[in-house]
Amino acid sequence: MDQSFEIPDSTDWLETPLSLLAPFESSLRCQVCKDFFDNPVITSCSHTFCSLCIRRCLSTEGKCPACRSSDQELKLRRNWAVQELVDAFKLARPNVLDLARRENVRLAKGEEDIDEPTQKKRKINQVEEQELQVPEANSQGRRTRSQRSINSSAEERTVPQIVPEVIEDSQDDEEYMPEDGLVACPICFRKMKEEAVFPHLNVHQQEEEAPRKTPTKPTSFGLLKGTSQRGLTLPSKQPERLPAINYSILKDNALRKKLRDLGIPDWGQKQLLQRRHTEWMNLWNANCDSKCPKSKRVLLQELDIWERTQGGHAAVPSPFTTSNNVMRKDFDANEWSNNHDDDFKRLIANARKKSGAQVRSIIPETSPSSSRQREPQPQQDVGLPVNGARVELSPDTDANHVIDLSG
Amino acid sequence: MASSVAQKRLFHEYKNLSTNPPEGITAGPVSEDDMFYWEALIQGPEETPFEGGVFAAELKFPRDYPLSPPTMKFIGGGVWHPNVYPNGTVCISILHPPGDDPNHYEHASERWSPIQSVEKILISVMSMLAEPNDESPANVEAAKMWRERRPEYEQKVRDEVKKGLGL
Repeated sequence: MDQSFEIPDSTDWLETPLSLLAPFESSLRCQVCKDFFDNPVITSCSHTFCSLCIRRCLSTEGKCPACRSSDQELKLRRNWAVQELVDAFKLARPNVLDLARRENVRLAKGEEDIDEPTQKKRKINQVEEQELQVPEANSQGRRTRSQRSINSSAEERTVPQIVPEVIEDSQDDEEYMPEDGLVACPICFRKMKEEAVFPHLNVHQQEEEAPRKTPTKPTSFGLLKGTSQRGLTLPSKQPERLPAINYSILKDNALRKKLRDLGIPDWGQKQLLQRRHTEWMNLWNANCDSKCPKSKRVLLQELDIWERTQGGHAAVPSPFTTSNNVMRKDFDANEWSNNHDDDFKRLIANARKKSGAQVRSIIPETSPSSSRQREPQPQQDVGLPVNGARVELSPDTDANHVIDLSG
Repeated sequence: MASSVAQKRLFHEYKNLSTNPPEGITAGPVSEDDMFYWEALIQGPEETPFEGGVFAAELKFPRDYPLSPPTMKFIGGGVWHPNVYPNGTVCISILHPPGDDPNHYEHASERWSPIQSVEKILISVMSMLAEPNDESPANVEAAKMWRERRPEYEQKVRDEVKKGLGL
């Protein structure tokens, strides 16, 4: 997951002459997800979050995460001004950051001109600084225009090299899926010809023993097709919000039917059905707060990500979630042992290694992979322990010792 | 692999902590294949018996982070403190979800909320080392010693720190 260090972040400004932009950028980011506000909404206690983030918080706890006063989803209001601030800042960010980094390099070198900047640069490298300033210079006089016109005017006026950047930064990428005549399976999203979908769905049906009535499928599928086509053009009317359900008064089957009617997967125990419905309701209603709502197909993909990371298909990459899954009634022991065969072997191998290593663990040695994927940073010398057993500190911290914490 | 909300947020926190670490604190995932398991190093706060010590801890994050808090446990033992269980698990209000207050002593405002962060947890733990809260001792013996025989408590902590450093 090397891309983790590519993520833009407010700390990007810290090592530039524009370090004061770090708190500025922080304030344009949601405190829950730490990303730029996405469809920001304001609570009745005047705190702003991404629509989806605050909906998830409220459906878990019913309280504002910032001040803990009680709030309801119904009271959330869109915060367009913040959305425009974020969009405009995201547009300007790459150029400003690039400029600031170059300035940094120049200051460090103490030279007037730099031919080859040492830092990793993007395509806009070759663009002369004068040209880079173009969008900045033009920014006066279009403050009152809407975001749409900013986008289009920026594209017209900026140099062509920057255009790919602008597209890259757009958060709506997913919406403009190429219309290749293929449709996605509503369960696994594999693309296929339309007539292949129904036979394909039978495969899923066999995989999950959850009863699924065939008559419901055409309706939900028709819906899918309609929305995906609409997604290409701007929808003429806002999608309708989903109401909350009082799960306690619904029997399993009634809830299952509700999920089926919504066109989302309906398998699993009641608790999973509830959680899936809540997530879908949050995804759906947050999408209603968007200026350009995503198609249902995209939302279903997002639900699928949830399913795989937190829902019924959540993998079990770490030991402390294991027990919950093993305890589940629908736990499939054979599949489990097939999937985790390698893990078991690795654990056994590790355990054998460890008992041998205990004898040697007093010998100081730097863990080779301790800081392997870090960005080079001057004061970041404290290596992280790899197996929790050894900790090595660099000479510039006050304790220049190798500590053995295993014994 | 599609990354979840939790993973993205943890990436952000990791980047923030490694580019702009608070003094005396280092933290990050043990392996970048599993963002849900971190290790942290905390320096003992100055002018306390923990001064000079470096304490390693593991942090485990739930799948629905940041809606639920992580758990934190000192590894390698040797943290003699009223709010640290003998097995190393840290008991501090910021690690407790607001809905769950078995002891009825914590204010909701001190407890976990999705806008808290690893950084804030580690800073809280550092100040916990300096100022124990003996209202809800996790280690009753340590709490008693801290309350009634302070010099003995401090000496024991200093000894543990020295032992931890291999002196």
